[in-house]
Amino acid sequence: MGFSVTTLIFAVIGIVASLCTRICFNRGPSANLFHLTLVLTATTCCWMMWAIVYLAQMKPLIVPILSEGE
Amino acid sequence: MVNEGRFLPTMDLLRSEPMQLVQLIIPIESAHRSISYLGDLGLIQFKDLNADKSPFQRTYASQIKRCGEMARRLRLFKEQMTKAGVSPSTWSTRDNHFDLEHLEVKLEELEAELLEINANNEKLQHTYNELLEYKLVLEKVGEFFSSAKNKAVAQQKELEFQTTVEGSIDSPLLLEQEETTTKQIKLRFISGLVHREKSIPFERIIFRATRGNVFLKQAVIQHPVLDPLSGEKVHKNVFVVFYSGERVKSKILKICDAFGANRYPFSDDLSKQFQTIREVSGRLSELKTTIDAGLIHRSTLLQTIGYHYEQWSLQLKKEKSIYHTLNMLSINVTKKCLLAEGWCPVFATSQIHKVLERATMDCSSQVGAIFQVLETKESPPTYFSTNKFTSSFQEIVDAYGIAKYQEANPGVYTIVTFPFLFAVMFGDWGHGICLLLAALYLIIREKKFASQKLGDIMEMAFGGRYIIMLMALFSIYTGLIYNEFFSVPFELFGPSAYGCRDSSCRDASTTGFIKVRSTYPFGVDPKWHGTRSELPFLNSLKMKMSILLGVSQMNLGIIMSYFNAKYFENNINIWYQFVPQIIFLNSLFGYLSLLIIIKWSTGSQADLYHVMIYMFLSPTDDLGENQLFVGQKLLQLVLLLLALVAVPWMLVPKPFLLKKQHQERHQGQSYDLLYGTDDPLESESQSIPHDEFDFSEVFVHQLIHTIEFVLGAVSNTASYLRLWALSLAHSELSSVFYDKVLLLAWGYNSTIVLIVGIFVFICATVGVLLLMESLSAFLHALRLHWVEYQNKFYEGDGYKFFPFSFTLLTDEDEL
Repeated sequence: MGFSVTTLIFAVIGIVASLCTRICFNRGPSANLFHLTLVLTATTCCWMMWAIVYLAQMKPLIVPILSEGE
Repeated sequence: MVNEGRFLPTMDLLRSEPMQLVQLIIPIESAHRSISYLGDLGLIQFKDLNADKSPFQRTYASQIKRCGEMARRLRLFKEQMTKAGVSPSTWSTRDNHFDLEHLEVKLEELEAELLEINANNEKLQHTYNELLEYKLVLEKVGEFFSSAKNKAVAQQKELEFQTTVEGSIDSPLLLEQEETTTKQIKLRFISGLVHREKSIPFERIIFRATRGNVFLKQAVIQHPVLDPLSGEKVHKNVFVVFYSGERVKSKILKICDAFGANRYPFSDDLSKQFQTIREVSGRLSELKTTIDAGLIHRSTLLQTIGYHYEQWSLQLKKEKSIYHTLNMLSINVTKKCLLAEGWCPVFATSQIHKVLERATMDCSSQVGAIFQVLETKESPPTYFSTNKFTSSFQEIVDAYGIAKYQEANPGVYTIVTFPFLFAVMFGDWGHGICLLLAALYLIIREKKFASQKLGDIMEMAFGGRYIIMLMALFSIYTGLIYNEFFSVPFELFGPSAYGCRDSSCRDASTTGFIKVRSTYPFGVDPKWHGTRSELPFLNSLKMKMSILLGVSQMNLGIIMSYFNAKYFENNINIWYQFVPQIIFLNSLFGYLSLLIIIKWSTGSQADLYHVMIYMFLSPTDDLGENQLFVGQKLLQLVLLLLALVAVPWMLVPKPFLLKKQHQERHQGQSYDLLYGTDDPLESESQSIPHDEFDFSEVFVHQLIHTIEFVLGAVSNTASYLRLWALSLAHSELSSVFYDKVLLLAWGYNSTIVLIVGIFVFICATVGVLLLMESLSAFLHALRLHWVEYQNKFYEGDGYKFFPFSFTLLTDEDEL
């Protein structure tokens, strides 16, 4: 459930960022498509990074073990 | 191109600008003005139509020679200004435009004046130095004669005393006195200065040459003397030589010349001595005044030159480049028109028209320039319109190779993926903040730094300031994911998911914590830090992360090759390159990525290495405990078969289809393909009408390409593991500095030790982590883009559009 919700949050952030970029840097369809590509690529990269770490910790095979003496 | 926009909407930076080969016919009278305005515009790359001519055969060779002469004069001015300590003025408020003739006359006049002033100053200085030496001689030799006179007086008194005592021998003494007086009347002397280091051999040789029949006396001058000949400060001695006879005199004169000793006349008359000293002093004062006036005049002239120097230099560079460009043009047989050919972007057509019309009007030319577009089979140069943000990323791509004309540009995705991959290796949000502050400093002071000359390293940092900013922002993000702030974790997004088994926490160091809550929502759980199992966990996580990111980027690269094939309407490359490549990569490494995700989702303990190895070694055996999902064995068999089929698929059909295509074109049965296909092999065959299709060569080329892709899929996937290695190195170094420097210093409970510890920590963090580590991560991200990503689709065998532009004349350009 946490995975789906956060993925949805990333999607919303991506959409909002695309709209903001479109509004603030509107310079013709060619440039707008370029900006959209950049925003979507950045959002995808960030989501992938988060998702990888989250998935790795969902069902870990090992747990934290404190060093002796602590 | 006709097909542009038919399939895909256009996007900035994805394709290079549409280019066209244009021809200009310019009347002679407006040619110079036209080229000048085109240089201001900076959007035409001229072709050299006189490549077969030597530089001296070209039309404007004499003008270029004159420019060279003017450049020599400007270099002379620069040298003189440097000597005089005058710096050229950086501000140039004047807008008046000298033409070449006026500038030439002006520079000639200034050079003559400067040379005259220098010659006069040199002459005056020479005379001044001589008089200075003369004055020294007068003073020192005067001292000689005074002391000699005093001695003579003392001697005379002594003689009188003896006469009184011994009256009986008056006659012999008187005779001796008479003889001495006679000799003294005949003695003469030569006076001057000689170098101190030569004074002893000078004295010795004079003594030998005259067999000891001279009297020589020297005196040291305390301060160095300016030598009239060399103009340098030299230590010298004043000398005076007493001699008798003309033959001895000539010998002494020769020896003085040989030793470079300067001689000066001296009168033994006391009143004349004083008069001469007074005259020399007066002349010295006059000369000093004259020399000072000359120096002031020279300084004023150089300052005047300095005000205009930068403007003149720039204008001369422009003129020189204009004439070099005019030399590329072909002159009409009637000597009335110049013919020019060059490349320009399609969007620049109207601008060029306006510029040519303006040149025609400004010159009051009767005939306007003619501008027309030519059809050509040549491959145009590559030109990307970039801004200050995108240009540095484009430089990263161009350093690998210039895109072929209208080839898909990897720079589009590099803008995001390059700083992102850097951040994967560099991730620490404390270090990211430091990097961001440095980048913002460069960006905020943009205008100041842009107009300033920076050092090599600073120039690179300033040029890449937007790259650094993005790298910093992504580093802050990945630092939050890794949960490291100068290697210290925080519970920013909620409590840790791990807790103790019971309230006593005795098992924490034996069997460890257990997961008591839902997964930590953002990034690495802070409980891992400092534990014994931290490294195994992070290594496993980051290795798998590297595989996933690597396979994603490689797939993106192959998809880009599809867009290239689509754009150039190359169906062969779609069906017999793109499709089998996608199948091969994803049958093996895409499947590995899928297994990684399944393993994480299900918590399986399967060993993925064994799964992949035995997928090849024994694909029909049971998986046993390494099975992750139902039907895995069958799926692996299918994927293995697909991979095996994909290899001959991308090897065999393409050469045969190219051969068939060539035969059809040769028979004239498929003329439609001529204008749509832009495959490099076919382009080559088109340019040579009767070229033979070498099947074996094409086949070998395809064989090499196929082997490269298949082996590259393995090695490139392994290459992405550097993301894990660099990230691990960065994290461990940061931990060491924090634990062994800062915490250790804190433990001593001493303010001085703590201050030293903080200082060492700061130096280590900045020097090692922020500078060396960031450079290392930068280089590895660069390699991943150049090799692992771009070799999937990028040919990069184009050439860059290099327009004739005055703004490209840099300050380093030697005049």
